[in-house]
Amino acid sequence: MDHERATQGIGDKALDGRLSRRRLLRLFAAGAAVPAMSLLAACGEASVGESGGSSGGQAAPTATTAGSGASSGGSPAASPTSQGGTSPSGPVRIGVILPLSGVAASVGADEKVAVELAVKIVNEETPDLALPLAATAGLPNLGGATVELVFADSQGKAEVGQSEAERLINQENVIALFGCYQSAVTKTASAVAERAGIPFMNGDSSSPALTESGYQWFFRTSPHDGDFSKAIMAFIRAMADEKGADVSTVSLLYEDTDFGVNSAKALTDEAEAHGLQIVGEVKYKANTTALTSEVQALRSQGADVLCPASYTNDAILTIETARQQGYLPKMIVAQDAGYTDPAFIEGVGAAFAEGIASRSAFSIDITEIKPAAAKVNEMYREMAGKDMYDGPARCFTAMIVLLDAINRAGSTEPDAIREALEATDLGADDTIMPWQGVRFDEKHQNILGGGIIVQIQNGEYRTVYPFEVATVEPSYPLQPWDQRGA
Amino acid sequence: MTTATARPIRAIPRSWIALGVLALALLALPLVLRSDSRLNIAILVLVYAALAQAWNILGGFAGQISLGNAAFFGIGAYTSTVLLSRWEVTPWLGMLAGALVAAIFAVIIGYPVFRLGGHYFAIATIALAEIVYTIFNDWEWVGGATGMLIPFARDIETGRPTNSLYYLQFNLGKAPYFYIALALVVLVTVVTVIVDRSKLGYYLRAIKNDQDAARALGVHVLRYKLIAIAISAAFSAVIGTFYAQYLLYIDPETTMRLELSVLIALVAILGGVGTVAGPLVGAAVLIPAAELTRQQLGGSGNAIDLILYGALIVLISIFQPNGLMGLVQRLRHRGGPRPTATPTEQQATAREEAPMLGGYEEERG
Repeated sequence: MDHERATQGIGDKALDGRLSRRRLLRLFAAGAAVPAMSLLAACGEASVGESGGSSGGQAAPTATTAGSGASSGGSPAASPTSQGGTSPSGPVRIGVILPLSGVAASVGADEKVAVELAVKIVNEETPDLALPLAATAGLPNLGGATVELVFADSQGKAEVGQSEAERLINQENVIALFGCYQSAVTKTASAVAERAGIPFMNGDSSSPALTESGYQWFFRTSPHDGDFSKAIMAFIRAMADEKGADVSTVSLLYEDTDFGVNSAKALTDEAEAHGLQIVGEVKYKANTTALTSEVQALRSQGADVLCPASYTNDAILTIETARQQGYLPKMIVAQDAGYTDPAFIEGVGAAFAEGIASRSAFSIDITEIKPAAAKVNEMYREMAGKDMYDGPARCFTAMIVLLDAINRAGSTEPDAIREALEATDLGADDTIMPWQGVRFDEKHQNILGGGIIVQIQNGEYRTVYPFEVATVEPSYPLQPWDQRGA
Repeated sequence: MTTATARPIRAIPRSWIALGVLALALLALPLVLRSDSRLNIAILVLVYAALAQAWNILGGFAGQISLGNAAFFGIGAYTSTVLLSRWEVTPWLGMLAGALVAAIFAVIIGYPVFRLGGHYFAIATIALAEIVYTIFNDWEWVGGATGMLIPFARDIETGRPTNSLYYLQFNLGKAPYFYIALALVVLVTVVTVIVDRSKLGYYLRAIKNDQDAARALGVHVLRYKLIAIAISAAFSAVIGTFYAQYLLYIDPETTMRLELSVLIALVAILGGVGTVAGPLVGAAVLIPAAELTRQQLGGSGNAIDLILYGALIVLISIFQPNGLMGLVQRLRHRGGPRPTATPTEQQATAREEAPMLGGYEEERG
């Protein structure tokens, strides 16, 4: 209003023009607000419907998925499990925090489908699948109780992860938390779980600090950066020793967040241990719009091997810039993340992704060796419209491990679940991963996991190392950019 | 500040009563909310209210739009956390140390930067905050990009996280955090009121309205700007310490990113720049809006919550260019007869009331 008054004084002409413009703006805004409101209402309704009437006691229409619920798929298929608010025989609720918006949203969405699939397999009878809890419906030791996931969006921010963890525990009454992809988010969210004394299961964050901080409620099924970096350097060493590759020097390119920095640290240690020389490190700002000078620096270092650590967008930009500048090392062995996201192959084009290798915990060709993995991937493809890859596979596995422990605990008491988790002893055939199994050490880190190296060949991720589980021979060296058919 | 000249005798007691009721309501809030997650939102509101209020002293009264206040916030968080994790210094002392470090830092950077006027000052603060961010991101000694985890204060017998006044950690319920945050907001607000009514406040407003005129009248422009930025930085740092102890994990991304600086300014601007209540109102509207839309809709993964939140900001900026306090004032005026003053008088009151962003007003119109 001060504004209005001020303009009134200037003169009638100005006043007229001003008011009509304001009126226009107002009309426009009102027009925009109405669909926004109806959208809000529609969304609220949709998610209430999805949660199968669970909103009886609580007025919190979150996007919960009961039973067989891909949010896109037919959700009413699951039995409506009439839970009278406080009745103890209600579904087992687990809170899942993932980056559903922000730069990692694509991975977050895929991981969401993966954990939904894990829950679907547990909730429904899936007799022809040799995984824990698949054959039965629900959790047999809890009277066949079904599992319900409550999803929350971290936006990839640590403080949002904390807020959402708080809400899931206090308002959604989840008995365990799961997530959160980015290590920084996992740190704050797992601190909330530690404070509340409920189990936190992680399958996809690789910062070693997570299991080093002495938390009593945090469990991780995946190898961390240290293990993964060992696999990368061992692969490069083996290429030199056994496959006659002429490689001895390494350049590191990494983004400046927790993930990139930790990865570089671990790679530096492991390079030394494997007799490889790091000739240069280039750190860049995550989610950058240009990597020109960084790639120039890499070219001037002239190392045989490039080890990049980046999320998807940066990974695509790296390869595009390298192509434009004609920078080509003999090998590229990446630190997972963006380089194992199928969107990376799409982004740079299969021809230019050819030959790039990355560490991973999962590769789609594992389905050729493990029938369970093939079946799970088939089901995943039905829900997500694409093959499983590293992140979703790790989340799927972690969710199965958590649910298996809850079932063995035979109770939803936190202490019982923790004891069951600590007693976890799954064999190689109980997971879809190329692991020996799942068993936690005293820090709650899985000691039977391990990393593999995948290489993009003919537009697909193929396992090339360790050589004994490889499905194809590694190709060496990288083909010059201009000799590749686009 | 709302007690106008009209009815001083009745207006003052009424506002005191309102304040008393508000204070009681706030004190009872943890009992009403009961759930820690709802209390979490209340604490976030208080944190951003305090941050916006601290920003307001520099950006509102002195008219120096800073888009780098997250740097002060981060310095506060880091100072206390480093002292705690290296030398076991209680965060209460760390809080004061952080305030001191941030204030000194603010004065050192303020000295050259205040020579820049208008937009250039804002740009310089962005650049400086990014420099600070980058330094902390690369500084191994303070954890670099990995950040620093603050270990739990644990019960010696059970090993469970527990409450500890010395370590400023309350793991058995969030009510203590709420009351500390509330005390911080009251503290910053009281300081703001004091600044508002003191000579300093008049000097700062004079600087905002016309720096050269103020200088011609003998106001030591640079000195008062430096005082304003030092106060602003010190309080931002105090809140930074509190926030670090609340999250128990800090990294440059969480405490210093540009988005945070923008959010601090946004809360104050949408609330009502240069008014005492504006930042508080802004935080009370914006933060729950962001939290609640995300809670209700974020899990679906289609980012509708962010669209709605953005729409809210756009709507406020269209209808209330002077912030939500403008709305409050308008509602108050609606009761009485419409003012029928002459244009010159209107202009005068408008200039007096418009607590906007100094020279920015004309360009926006």
